[in-house]
Amino acid sequence: MNALEANHITKTYANHIALDDVSITVPEGAVFGLLGPNGAGKTSLIRIINQITGPDSGEIKLFGEKLQAKHISTIGYLPEERGLYKKMKVGEQALYLAQLKGMSKREAKAKLDEWFERFEISAWWNKKVEELSKGMAQKIQFVTTVLHEPKLLILDEPFSGFDPINVELIRSELMRLRDQGASIILSTHNMGSVEEICDHIALINKSKKVLEGGVSEIREAHARQEYEIRYKGTAIAFANALWTNFELLSQGQEKESQSAVVRLGDKMKLNDLLRAVVDHVELLDVNRKLPSMNDIFIQTVTQNEVGHE
Amino acid sequence: MSKIGLVIGREYSSRVRKKSFIIMTILGPLLFAGIIAAAIWVSVADNSEHEVLVVDYAGMLSYVNPESGRIEPSYPEIFKGDENLFFHFTDKLPSDSAFINSPYTLMLEFDDSILAAKKAHLYYKDLPSAQVSMRITGALENGIERVKVRENDQIDYSTYKRLKTSLSLAKFDINNKEDASMDQEKGIVGMMLAVIIFFFIFLYGSQVMRGVIEEKSNRIVEVIVSSIKPFQLMMGKIIGIGLVGLTQFLIWILFSILIFTAAGMIFESGGFDSVAAVDGLRSGGQTPIDFETFLQQQDGFSLLVSINWPLILFMFFIYFIGGYLLYGSLFASIGAAVDSETDTQQFLMPVMLPLFFSYFVAIMSVSNPEGFAAKLFSFIPLSSPIIMMIRTPLNSTSVWELLISVAILFATAVFFVWLAGRIYRTGILMYGKKPSYREIWKWIKFNS
Repeated sequence: MNALEANHITKTYANHIALDDVSITVPEGAVFGLLGPNGAGKTSLIRIINQITGPDSGEIKLFGEKLQAKHISTIGYLPEERGLYKKMKVGEQALYLAQLKGMSKREAKAKLDEWFERFEISAWWNKKVEELSKGMAQKIQFVTTVLHEPKLLILDEPFSGFDPINVELIRSELMRLRDQGASIILSTHNMGSVEEICDHIALINKSKKVLEGGVSEIREAHARQEYEIRYKGTAIAFANALWTNFELLSQGQEKESQSAVVRLGDKMKLNDLLRAVVDHVELLDVNRKLPSMNDIFIQTVTQNEVGHE
Repeated sequence: MSKIGLVIGREYSSRVRKKSFIIMTILGPLLFAGIIAAAIWVSVADNSEHEVLVVDYAGMLSYVNPESGRIEPSYPEIFKGDENLFFHFTDKLPSDSAFINSPYTLMLEFDDSILAAKKAHLYYKDLPSAQVSMRITGALENGIERVKVRENDQIDYSTYKRLKTSLSLAKFDINNKEDASMDQEKGIVGMMLAVIIFFFIFLYGSQVMRGVIEEKSNRIVEVIVSSIKPFQLMMGKIIGIGLVGLTQFLIWILFSILIFTAAGMIFESGGFDSVAAVDGLRSGGQTPIDFETFLQQQDGFSLLVSINWPLILFMFFIYFIGGYLLYGSLFASIGAAVDSETDTQQFLMPVMLPLFFSYFVAIMSVSNPEGFAAKLFSFIPLSSPIIMMIRTPLNSTSVWELLISVAILFATAVFFVWLAGRIYRTGILMYGKKPSYREIWKWIKFNS
């Protein structure tokens, strides 16, 4: 079963189209990256999933059911614009937010005690939020998002504005929650985190979905014929050995060896490359070079833009 | 607990625990007591001399002295007057011109229908101060009570309480009899209520606005609207803050009742007993009195006792709820439309203007509660809560007028709440540029 299916979602605001026939599928147990430049429509889609706004057309299914009011407690949502009541005490506030998600007060208190102990923040219970540092407040925000044990977690730019220690903490907590069975949607334009923790992604650009799939499949599909070669010998000898059908993208020098990245011309195979250089240098290892998500992101978005113009 | 209940609970409890609320709740009544005292002092401070001609057709309070042949009061100790108030009795009404040319400044006229109608006429050349008219009323009330006692053989304290007479004076300018003059004292109460309802609507309405801005600028609003509907959040806030206002007002009323009761007990424990009161009344001598009567005889306080407080407080609650819902939802829309309080100016103007305007109409209505402006603005929901606070104590509204005015007010309030809901749900998630009125209009039309 899929955690989430969004089918042909279209959303128009007074002045512009936010989502144009967008469909995504989030498999259960996945960490799903919702990618796209600022203003692409990520937040609009997330708000529709959270029932903050409704789509003009299209439908959302959550764990096989049509999205409805009761699903509010199935989802944990950490918006990009997140905050807390400054004048309210930490514990009181966490209880309030948990009750709004449908937990009973007693249940919420027990769970909060657990989490506060895990995060070693029990001493903050009676502090006002305005007395906390930003990093401390971020921990509280995270706890209140996951407290009601949502089956689907939606985090909008979860790592922006968090300090590195909290980023690490939250990353490991997310992995733990995933292992316990939660499905996670991360909306971000920070590609570094995508490669590390997402297994599926969808790329949205200018209100349209332009790419979707498993992270490794996508990287594989976008791979060009590029190889990283480590060898012993001189860089000049290596460069001279390449004919015009090979493009030398970069060269590097290590302690005992040299390295180079080579792109193959049309119809060339790895064998051709090896044949060309094998008599001139001593090969140590050869690796297929996969494009980074960042490259794919930029490439897809720019192509998309060229295509539009 | 339902989710909207949770929001109401948070809004309410976070506010009633604030120091500012506690201080205001304690200082408020003192402040208003001060205002009342000042208003009364201004209206009663009066040193002008008055010669009152009492026209007693039926000879209820006067008789012809066989020795002098002059008409004299039956109870001279009541009508003995003092250095600036003198009573003269007659049994014939002089012509207007004779009165105007006479040395008398005031003319009090009544016949035996006064027992049933409880109303006497007072004609004046210049409007007497509240103090003077209250002393005249007081003397007349005392006299009438004596008459009633004379007609009753058996008097116990309950009869005594029943005999206690509350009269009203219909005042007329002798030069312009058509124009019944204002009921000054009750006008003061009306002004006070108008000020209170004005401030309640304004203060608590702008608290709604500040609360909405706080949630927006704290960036917590999106977290919350992922759990409940924006409309529930808005209504919870409006209701919660409104309940804070009602709580404050209730505490003030309880305080007042407590103070009044305590003062009465202290007063009556110092010598008042009902038997002596009845005896005193029968013998025509010095009458010990209970606290309420005492207050009635004190300058300025009689108006506080003579007013129909339960009705007026009830109307206050109704109009506060209606007016607050109406203005509160306008304030909520403003809060949703802007990012910070500094941006509110442009939108506050159109909300504040009708509020201030109503206040000025209210001030003018005191002297002319039946006038066209007063009547018209009693039906316009933006002004009716304030205007009606003036008109209700003056008894210048009919039941129908009240019902229609309240119905229009609540219908409009519901409409404004609906309108505010539409602005709110879009506005709270919009950051950045301050919207224009045209954009806000789009938010209203836009279907979520």
